[in-house]
Amino acid sequence: MFTFKLAWRNLFRNKRRSIIAGVAIGTGLAAMIFTDALIEGMRGQLIRSATAAYLGEGQIHRQGFRLTQEPALTINDLATVRASLEKDPSVEAFAERAEGFGMITSPTDVSSVMVVGVEPDKERILSRVDDNIGQGTYFAGSGERDLVIGSDLADILGAALGDRVVLTVSQAGSGELAQDMFRISGIYRFGVKEMDGGFAFVRLAKAQEMLGVEGGVHEIALKFKDIEFATEKDNPFWAKYSTGGNEAVSWAAVLPQLRDVMGLFWVSLAIMAVILFGIVAFGIINTLFMSLYERMFEFGVLRAVGTRPSGVRRLIVFEAGALAILSIAIGAALGLAATLLVAKTGINYNGIEFAGTAFYEPLYPILQVRQFVVYPLSTLLFTLLVGLYPAGFAARMKVADALRKSL
Amino acid sequence: MDSVRESLIVTESLKKDYVEGGVVVPAVRGIDLRIDPGEFTAIVGPSGSGKTTFLNLISGLDSPTEGKVWLRDHLISDLSGSELSDVRRDHIGFIFQAYNLIPVLTVKENIEYIMLLQGVPDRERAARVAAILKEIGMEGFERRFPPKISGGQQQRVAIARAMVSRPELILADEPTANLDSETGAELLDMMHDLNHRLGMTFLFSTHDKMVMERADRVITLHDGRVAEDEWRVPH
Repeated sequence: MFTFKLAWRNLFRNKRRSIIAGVAIGTGLAAMIFTDALIEGMRGQLIRSATAAYLGEGQIHRQGFRLTQEPALTINDLATVRASLEKDPSVEAFAERAEGFGMITSPTDVSSVMVVGVEPDKERILSRVDDNIGQGTYFAGSGERDLVIGSDLADILGAALGDRVVLTVSQAGSGELAQDMFRISGIYRFGVKEMDGGFAFVRLAKAQEMLGVEGGVHEIALKFKDIEFATEKDNPFWAKYSTGGNEAVSWAAVLPQLRDVMGLFWVSLAIMAVILFGIVAFGIINTLFMSLYERMFEFGVLRAVGTRPSGVRRLIVFEAGALAILSIAIGAALGLAATLLVAKTGINYNGIEFAGTAFYEPLYPILQVRQFVVYPLSTLLFTLLVGLYPAGFAARMKVADALRKSL
Repeated sequence: MDSVRESLIVTESLKKDYVEGGVVVPAVRGIDLRIDPGEFTAIVGPSGSGKTTFLNLISGLDSPTEGKVWLRDHLISDLSGSELSDVRRDHIGFIFQAYNLIPVLTVKENIEYIMLLQGVPDRERAARVAAILKEIGMEGFERRFPPKISGGQQQRVAIARAMVSRPELILADEPTANLDSETGAELLDMMHDLNHRLGMTFLFSTHDKMVMERADRVITLHDGRVAEDEWRVPH
């Protein structure tokens, strides 16, 4: 306790230098806190953007369907699955889809698409196709030949709202081609190439009829009451619905590139931490050595009156600790202020495509207790560790050399 | 070795060479001395005569090139850094020319620092600090920081710091050099009184005539050797 008191007072002998060093270290800490908060915000935003756009936070399929997209692989025992989902307390909403690869043909051009049969009312909760309609409507009325496509696909086809196009799909089992004519009733724009150019939405019943899977669905998109529920790998929900030849997967399995990008964020943060702490290390060493050289004689006195080398080493390490505490106070305050400021205004990335999805709302950093525990503790431990170098130097110095001007 | 045990300090053929710019410079050239308990001794000599080096060697602040130093039963020249620290903590008090109190510690904290190293219990520490402050006439200064008191007062505190742990030997390097003659004389009288009353051994390195006049024994060094060893009182 006495050593820490001495170290703390020593820290403030040269207030200006200690504060400058504290601000330098604190700025590094603040940068870590802010970046972490930003990544946390981006993570949530990306997951929400990716899952809310179309995928859902989880999906149920027949085993093998995700790999083959074979129309015959409809979900087994759909009625039981549906009944179970309706009663499941973790599920907020779900929507059934029938889908298959097909061709879309306009008078002027042709393109391959994923034909998706949807239940418009339920789909409004699960996806944002309806929110991104730029022209027309999202299945208004009951027209069974209504078709909703993306703006890129409309451009490829040279088609406009109200134009007629032909969809061709391969039927389940027989592989026979089924064709039907549709009228473009809505054009949406997400800003994501795959979404805007690769999907054609029709009503579920029409899709089931064309695909030859009357009453069957290929996919159930899920929305949970808590989005984090879907990110839990060991969640029993997945096992519960991965029975009877079906499989239930989270968004992370459906969109693995997004999960990988999340991982990369943390790797980037770790690299940033190494660089920042590396710079900070030299700052700490410099500060401690300057302080040590200025007080060389004083350390000589301490050693002369009976302080052991280990006592001097402890004093310097404690001074490093005192510097860390000052820096943590400054860094935590700066980090909190910067994060709160940006959290108020947000960073506008609207419409920017990233990792197969796009941002639909401003990016807001998210503060978490962890940021004010892990990084400050790391700063303290790191500073103590770095302090060992000047501490070792002070402990090894010859007392007579330190006292040369006196005894 | 019995005589060694009776003496407080014994040096045998003590030598110390420094290497400066590749040239060997002998600072102490073979000193054989005995300092007995209770002495009030001044080591004098011109600058470069080896006074400082000699005191550094007997206190273990520096290691000899040749020869031996005993402090009681401790062969100083053979001890490790930590062992030397313990010997200094328990047996030697230091008074420096420039007082050298720790500026961020209060008067009380400066005085009790060595007792903290020794692990003296709180209550005893407080009692000893109070007693020594009374002894040096500085009651009421406990919470002052060194920069806020005069040079004479700082040196009193330095004396208190050196004595409070009750060492057998006090090494004082030019203790009056930074003081006016009146304050210097007053402090010397105080140290002499403590020497007589408590039997502490004082060893001064000094140029000050006042110190020499009060010393019971004056050892004159010249070119790293004992040139004269004069007792002023019968021993």
